[in-house]
Amino acid sequence: MSAALLEKHKDYILINLPPVLDGNTCKLFDEQITDLEDLHVIIHCGIQTFIPKDWLRVLLKIHLSLKTKGKSMKLIHANPVLTNHLKKEGVDAIFGISKDLKDALTQLGCVTKKSMDIEFVDPFLTATIHVLKVQASVEASAGKVSLKKAGVMTSGDISGIIGVVSDTFNGSVIISFPEETFLGIMSNMLGETYTTINKDIVDGAGELTNIIFGQAKITLNEKGYGINTAIPSVVSGKNHILSSQTKGPVVVVPFESSAGPFVIEICIE
Amino acid sequence: MFDTKLKVLVVDDMLTMRKIVSKILKQIGFTDIHEATDGNDAWEKAKDGKFGLIISDWNMPNCSGLDFLKRVRADEKLSKTPFLLVTAEAEQHQVAEAIKSGVDQYVVKPFSHESLKTKLESAHKKCAARKSA
Repeated sequence: MSAALLEKHKDYILINLPPVLDGNTCKLFDEQITDLEDLHVIIHCGIQTFIPKDWLRVLLKIHLSLKTKGKSMKLIHANPVLTNHLKKEGVDAIFGISKDLKDALTQLGCVTKKSMDIEFVDPFLTATIHVLKVQASVEASAGKVSLKKAGVMTSGDISGIIGVVSDTFNGSVIISFPEETFLGIMSNMLGETYTTINKDIVDGAGELTNIIFGQAKITLNEKGYGINTAIPSVVSGKNHILSSQTKGPVVVVPFESSAGPFVIEICIE
Repeated sequence: MFDTKLKVLVVDDMLTMRKIVSKILKQIGFTDIHEATDGNDAWEKAKDGKFGLIISDWNMPNCSGLDFLKRVRADEKLSKTPFLLVTAEAEQHQVAEAIKSGVDQYVVKPFSHESLKTKLESAHKKCAARKSA
């Protein structure tokens, strides 16, 4: 028997409904929600297609308790079958159903901006430093963040590219390495010395991009960006130049590291 | 810890990550390490039940690590095989989904030698408890 998972965030509590909604889990849940503080509550419905009446009563109790504090409750990821069930029970309007976490946070007023700002860029910088340190024992530091000027091209010898896709915006993250830097990072990561970019390590640029993206995505989605999972790709070639396919502004961040310099470009529209 | 004589399957679409995981396994003492490039490839290699431990990436084209895990757990012969999922994504609902699907441990990238070893030890304890239950 597993209880609901409660995650406390700055402005809200996210509750993941357990897979089994029976009398026992309901009793546990009722005990878990005795102190929800003055925060909004977002319920992730998971795979549920039906919410039993005892569970509905506890959810109503949360709703009423929040109302007295000027807070709200939202249900997210309710599938069509569950949505119909809630309508039949007459509680869909009371609970408030949002598509996903981002929608819920926007409706609750917790997230208002989706522009390219430091809130969006910073998780990528933090993730880059952390990933290189843990996975490759490479110390890195970010230089001055700037907007890419028209006509200025960034070149590299190998680049990892990943699409940033959400319901409301698209973009991309590109990490470009000079050959020497990449070889240093890969040699550290794999514990072998590499002197050329070969088939054994070429996908390492994609893997690093993937891990950095995954780390940043966790932070951004906690803030309601709703970024989807993506699979990276790699471009390799001496001094290749990449241009973004999206029309938004491109932020360029140069990095210095113990393996050498590299550049990250982030673009969203 | 798992018996290092076990036959291990490492699944990842990225060669570098397969090399990293295999290298750590070798450092721990495992010698019989095999690789697969996605869930379908892994299923073909694992369906005869010859692997004693599976370490799979989650986010792969064709057949994800989660889908592969579900196939393993649904198969009578393979259902009790220790299974670790490795992923760069650790959002709470994903962790919950992996646990619900029967994963023994969840390894978040980036990871160090020590953290993978700790996860293996933890998975071993979980599997041992499951066997004695």
